[in-house]
Amino acid sequence: MRLWRSLILRPLARDLPRTLLTVLAVALGVAVVVAIDLAGDAATGSFRSSMETLGGKTDLEITANGGVDERWIGVLAALPVNARVWPVIETQAALAGVGSVTLYGLDMLNAPGGRADSPAVDEAGAPSCAISEALARRIGLARGATLRLSLAGRAAEFRIAQVTAAGAAEFVALDIADAQQALGRYGKLDRIDVAVARNQDFAALEAAVRRTLPSSYLISKPGARSEENQRMLRAFRWNLRVLSYISLVVGAFLIYNTIAISVVRRRAEIGILRAVGAARATVLGLFLAEALLFGAAGAAFGVALGRILAGAIVHLIADTVNALYTTSRPAPVELTWAEAWTGLATGVAVALVSAFAPAREAMQVAPTEAMSRGSREHRARLSWKRGLWWSAGFAAAAWAASLAAPLDGYPVGGYAAALLAVAAAATVTPALVLAVNRATRALVRRRAETLLAARSLESSLSRTSVVVAALATAIAMMASVGIMVGSFRETVTLWLDVQLRADLYVRAAGPGGAGAYPPLPAELGAILEPGGRPLPGIAAVDFFHALELHYGGERATLGAGNLEVVRRFGRLRFLPGENREAILRSLKGRDRAIVSEPFANKHGVRSGARLTLPIGSQLVTLTVAGIYYEYSSSQGYVIVDNSTLLRYLPGQPATNAAVYLAPGADADALRREIQLRTAGLGVVVAPNSELRRAAIAVFDRTFAITWALEAVALVVAMLGAANSLLALVLDRRRELGLLRYLGASPRQIQGMILTEAGFLGLLAAILGLALGLALSVLLIFLVNRQSFGWTIQFHPPGAMMAAALAAVWSVTLAAALYPARVAARLNPAEVVHEE
Amino acid sequence: MPSPRLELRGVSKTYRNGGQPVEVLHDISLSADAGSVTALVGRSGCGKTTLLNLAGAMDFPTAGEVLIEGRATGSLSEAELTALRRTRVGFVFQFFQLLPTLTVLENVELPLLLARGPGGPRSHAAAALEQLGWVGLEDKAASLPYQLSGGQMQRVALARALVHRPDLLIADEPTGNLDTVSGDHVLALLRESAKRFGAAVLVATHSAEAAAIADVRVRLKDGRIVALERA
Repeated sequence: MRLWRSLILRPLARDLPRTLLTVLAVALGVAVVVAIDLAGDAATGSFRSSMETLGGKTDLEITANGGVDERWIGVLAALPVNARVWPVIETQAALAGVGSVTLYGLDMLNAPGGRADSPAVDEAGAPSCAISEALARRIGLARGATLRLSLAGRAAEFRIAQVTAAGAAEFVALDIADAQQALGRYGKLDRIDVAVARNQDFAALEAAVRRTLPSSYLISKPGARSEENQRMLRAFRWNLRVLSYISLVVGAFLIYNTIAISVVRRRAEIGILRAVGAARATVLGLFLAEALLFGAAGAAFGVALGRILAGAIVHLIADTVNALYTTSRPAPVELTWAEAWTGLATGVAVALVSAFAPAREAMQVAPTEAMSRGSREHRARLSWKRGLWWSAGFAAAAWAASLAAPLDGYPVGGYAAALLAVAAAATVTPALVLAVNRATRALVRRRAETLLAARSLESSLSRTSVVVAALATAIAMMASVGIMVGSFRETVTLWLDVQLRADLYVRAAGPGGAGAYPPLPAELGAILEPGGRPLPGIAAVDFFHALELHYGGERATLGAGNLEVVRRFGRLRFLPGENREAILRSLKGRDRAIVSEPFANKHGVRSGARLTLPIGSQLVTLTVAGIYYEYSSSQGYVIVDNSTLLRYLPGQPATNAAVYLAPGADADALRREIQLRTAGLGVVVAPNSELRRAAIAVFDRTFAITWALEAVALVVAMLGAANSLLALVLDRRRELGLLRYLGASPRQIQGMILTEAGFLGLLAAILGLALGLALSVLLIFLVNRQSFGWTIQFHPPGAMMAAALAAVWSVTLAAALYPARVAARLNPAEVVHEE
Repeated sequence: MPSPRLELRGVSKTYRNGGQPVEVLHDISLSADAGSVTALVGRSGCGKTTLLNLAGAMDFPTAGEVLIEGRATGSLSEAELTALRRTRVGFVFQFFQLLPTLTVLENVELPLLLARGPGGPRSHAAAALEQLGWVGLEDKAASLPYQLSGGQMQRVALARALVHRPDLLIADEPTGNLDTVSGDHVLALLRESAKRFGAAVLVATHSAEAAAIADVRVRLKDGRIVALERA
């Protein structure tokens, strides 16, 4: 302990700026990992229905694509089993000042846990509702007040008859009839819940229910939907997690470098220790203990910082979940002891693993070698040739890993290939530094600053390489994600050109979101096509019906449209080799469908395959006529013609309408006319341009968290660069003092350090860009494809990349300003004569 | 009569050690003329190195004046001091202080590069090579310092100190780390540099052989001049 205090702790305290920089870098790495985990947990919510509070414990949930026919309530209630059944509608309503809120429709009079004295209609005759305590607190309303909601775009008012204690859950509960009326869902339910009595044989009941219901109905245990949601989000969350680990990887480089520098500086002390009898294990333990200190201190700070960061980013992630996956309200961010310990353990583990190699080198120092006087420089035992071989090996392994199929839907091969590519880049760095140095030998000799900077980088190759590798990793992450996002954005923009061909789009008013399909009012058809013919100025209308589809344990969307209109006016793009015209002509009136690329990839579906989907009360077998490109949902679409869907789900309401105008028609005037005719119906009429802008805005918001993660990785890399440059300055103070004796001005000393930083930044940029290109190929063609099923076209945003690289290089120079100042202010007389 | 290259007038230097003042030099007055060799003799800790740093304008007296070519170093700006070191002063150290990452030739031409003197890299290299030739090491131009012996390294250091033809050459224990033969060779070169280049050479030493080459021997004890002998 005393040894550790004097050999490790005291020097760290003396070198406080560098110590703090290292701790901060570890803290940032851990903070990002913790924040992404906590925010992801909170943003994806518990998905637990609040139904238990309202309806009591549920043992089975019965659902169906297209909704459950309410007549089954009576049939199930008549079964000779000891169980209760009740109808449920569960949807989202819009509430001013809150946004989306869960709305339940229940049989308020007869539901378990319901009260015989809680009227569905109050004494005044107005429909009433119950709200949760948490919601009541939020909106400042109490029993007896009027609650104003927007349901499926239409305003509705309810008197608050009851405020229910339900923990943190926020919901509104209506009587089932009121809900059906408000939502236009006559005869249809979202599900039927079943509670089994204690003395009832559960298996027998389940069997009886299955025998009774159509085979297309889904019978599942509570929590299955929650599990389905979690499965849906896992690829998204895993990709975020992997991105968050990059900061930790960059931090690992920093720890390695810090311990390596520590070993170099203390070689003489190590030699003395060994000479007086210290075992090798003692030396190893000392340096691992130093790493442990960095890891523990950094991780402790990082866990706390991560908790704060999680609060700041949870809405970013929640926005993405709501936009792309399913409606959910973020739960409060909670840091449990288990998560805190995991964060601590992660930081410590990374620090110890990173420090092992230099600590092992320290324990192998021979006493005589370390103590020999006059030997001021320890030559790095770095073989750049060996590094090249390792790099080749890692690159080959990366290529092999990229060929692996996904494991349980996870692109494990892709992740492994990315990590191996980073290792390949790290191990080639010494050779790169040497090669660039030698190539620029004649050029650098013209000025003292460039000559000295270049030679310094070469002479401290082991340290230089680590700094370059760390910076390059962060730059590569920035470049690869930038290229991937840029390519994706360009792909989506081009796709929008193809997909959004209509001039106007009509949908229900209120907050939209993934998994939400608010119906259009039935009157709309007659408004847009009075007497069956489109309004003057309108060439065609495509009424689209979308509903939630459960298939293969995953969620998707079943859609139906007028595919003849799509054929005439749209430009849907199908996979290469598929005939668009022929495909779209083949769908009307037949059990044929087209599927989106993500759906096809997720479920292994090819053109010509047969899909058996539960639709309503029937199992319908559809032939896949073609696969088309689609980027609005990673869950995927199955699209049939309206004639097909309405055959199995008669009365299924449309959810949006695409209006194609006749040539020469005044789009603004027609939009105003439609708005006038639909006033009060709770619909929104949006022009094509607005939809495109909104789609791109959703896209940009989705990747906001990604940019934030990259920024942190870059900050960690910059801290590493500043740390290493400061160490280089402190270790070379005698040399820097000597230069003052030889006539160097303080400005020239500063220039030398800045030139070194410039070289480092340039080398890192070159390597980072190359690695980034490789990683972007992995991300685009492997990780994204296996995670989400999309084909993204390669469109590297050259100008943006160049600007970003220039910015990174400038920040690298900025990181060198403090070390340069320290170097310029050294007292030459003191440092030259130091022993 | 030309003014001395270096003059110290009543120079004292006090440092603070843990808050306590420590007087390292007291009331030192001496001068060094062009072409002369002045030896500072005394035991370790008598203030030789401090005096050399003051003479070379790397440090400044607490009292008194240091004049180089008649200009008081205390009155010079940072830029003027830098210019002084580049053009008028050359240093040789006990432990050679060559930059290990530069070749022998690059080490010698470094002062010219730092000064951004007239001519380009070629003329700097030519001047450095000429200086290396004077110390007999032109064939080692492409070598790295670790490939040389101690005596060779000190000769390279001497070449570096003289490449810009300084008026004042300051050598701190130049033979302290050398064997006798190498040490004698270096001393001969120091003596020669005074004659050939007209530099005023100031040597700190506790070697009798080094003191023997001097025109003036100044004995220091506890920061004071206790004897001054002219040869």
